[in-house]
Amino acid sequence: MRARRLLFVTGKGGVGKTTVAAALGQYLGTSRHRALIVETAMDGRLAHLFGHTDLSAEPRRLRAGLDAVRVDARQLVEEYFSRLLRFQMLSQRLLSSETFNALTAAVPGITEFLLLEKILDWIEPGFGGRRRGYEIIIVDGPATGHALKMLRTPRALASMVPGGPLGKTARRLLALLGDHACTQVLLVTLPDEMAVRETMETQHALEGDLAIRVARPVINRVFPRHFSGAEAQLIEQHRKVNGHAAQALLEAARFSIACRREAERHVAHLRRVLGVRPILLHQFFSKEVQAQHLEAFGRMLGKAVLEATNEGRAPKADFRGRTPVSVDDVNDDD
Amino acid sequence: MMTIDGLLRKRLVICVGAGGVGKTTTAAALALAGALHQRRTAVITVDPARRLKDALGIAGLSTEPHTVTAGRVRFDSLALDTKRTFDALIERFAPSPAVAERILANRLYQEVSNELAGSAEYMAMEKLHELVLGRHYQTLVVDTPPSAHVRDLLAAPNRLVNLLTSRAVSLLQTPATLLSRGPLSVGRLGLTALLKVLQRWTGVDLLHDLADFAAAFEHLVEGFHARAEEVNQLLRAPTTAFVLVTTLEPHTVETAISFHHELAVGGFPIAGIIANRVLAFPTLDESAALPPWSEQLRGRLLRNYGELHALSQRDQQAVKTLQSRTKSPLLAAVPAATRAPTTLAGLERFARLLL
Repeated sequence: MRARRLLFVTGKGGVGKTTVAAALGQYLGTSRHRALIVETAMDGRLAHLFGHTDLSAEPRRLRAGLDAVRVDARQLVEEYFSRLLRFQMLSQRLLSSETFNALTAAVPGITEFLLLEKILDWIEPGFGGRRRGYEIIIVDGPATGHALKMLRTPRALASMVPGGPLGKTARRLLALLGDHACTQVLLVTLPDEMAVRETMETQHALEGDLAIRVARPVINRVFPRHFSGAEAQLIEQHRKVNGHAAQALLEAARFSIACRREAERHVAHLRRVLGVRPILLHQFFSKEVQAQHLEAFGRMLGKAVLEATNEGRAPKADFRGRTPVSVDDVNDDD
Repeated sequence: MMTIDGLLRKRLVICVGAGGVGKTTTAAALALAGALHQRRTAVITVDPARRLKDALGIAGLSTEPHTVTAGRVRFDSLALDTKRTFDALIERFAPSPAVAERILANRLYQEVSNELAGSAEYMAMEKLHELVLGRHYQTLVVDTPPSAHVRDLLAAPNRLVNLLTSRAVSLLQTPATLLSRGPLSVGRLGLTALLKVLQRWTGVDLLHDLADFAAAFEHLVEGFHARAEEVNQLLRAPTTAFVLVTTLEPHTVETAISFHHELAVGGFPIAGIIANRVLAFPTLDESAALPPWSEQLRGRLLRNYGELHALSQRDQQAVKTLQSRTKSPLLAAVPAATRAPTTLAGLERFARLLL
């Protein structure tokens, strides 16, 4: 049996989690794995990127080797409780009561836990070989805060409820999440102060408290480096120039160079603090994400994340804490 | 038609928008802009960037107003602390200090006060209610937590009250009777089953905690109910204005439009849109003469301009889409900067771009 992989994608709102998850899906669609991509946002964006209108609550084929599914928190809760209650009539009645809705909405961690349980179900083969589990599952996860809360639930439950079916599931989940050969969290971020800081804090929380393996961070929307150092210098000094068009060209160049420098500063910072080389994805300039972007991003991410065996991170001795990383040092991966 | 000027004359300005659009910065800049207009203003921020936090003087998450001096003007800033606001609320509404203490010490309360779905949103609403009532500020600008939906934010006061007043909670106050034998109605049968499931789910201790929590909370329900009603009224008051903050990526624009829709359906007063990080590189005159640059440099400059021009066109189109689909005015379009403001000087520049 091939090793199973679970990749949990998260990051601040608006950093491009779905694009990254879809790019990985795109990559897997060309490999020969049985892969599943899980949408948790319910906004249909993931399906849209693959040219589908919507996903369903049961895994559905997106293309050869790649299935997709969306999870609806409310549906998960209903499913779980009807399974436990067994009596159809009674559970119907209960599930439609306001009381039940109020309670399950309020008890912390129920939906988070049920989502993880569902993933466990998908990744582990069914009893008696009834069906094969997926080899790779990519979760297009919620934003960082919520994702951390979700990944913490199994541990909280395992300590709160040591026995019973719940405790057992919690322990299985703990084992799955803590298995560094299988589970990785992929943090997506942007080259800006807040997003980078949050990434560092999240990585710290994941590796420290939760002992979950974190992949190399992905920095999205990095401006490409269009100009050589000498050109950049020339553009910087070339202030007095005749003609509106020439001025506009130089101004635009200065803007891009400044954006690129700012990005490099954040990349270097992240690299210094985490001790690993971030994966850079370029800003693209078309109106929407196009198949070609997904393919290019997918190849890069697939190689960097899925084909990287447990390389772990650079040992502490390799930290470049003292010397700032030079521009050439953060050359893009492409 | 609403303008930034008109906006700053409101008593309560609530910034909503998707995560990562610069809501916190915009909220702080609006408070500063109000101060530039000689108004007494304050901003309530949620999770600001560290350096902005430092600039605003709220590095240590302070729920007490901190006065910020930017150039010749001043405004106050506060950071939201969900747990402390919740605690304060319990203390205020509890009939006796003993009851308050009992709730605050409850294990379940300690867990849920931060985690309970919507409690951050509820407490944001709660804090602003307190400050508006305090009447110390002429304009209060509120940054909101990054909710997936506006309704999560706005329904929070009701949701908590619904939970507290639901029959489940009143029954939970006496779980022993529920689980004992006796004549069973269908409704009770259902609840008994639910409780048994929850017991399996959580362990008996927690159920006991829940009962204890519910019993203690009973005294607070009335206070919470009245408060939620007041918050609801405040949010719809003519002196309140919602501002939709957005950047112009296609997906973010869609989110902004759906936020707007939810606000409009809910009857909340929407002042307009602030577009952030707008690029403006217009079409270039291709026949214009250029300096004698090398072929390579010239090619690179043109390519770079072409890319930024494409993004600018996307932005322009997005602004049009936003305006036509929300029928709301564009209050300001803040040009893209290469980095977000993290100093007071930077914030002041941002504020002047709004005015």
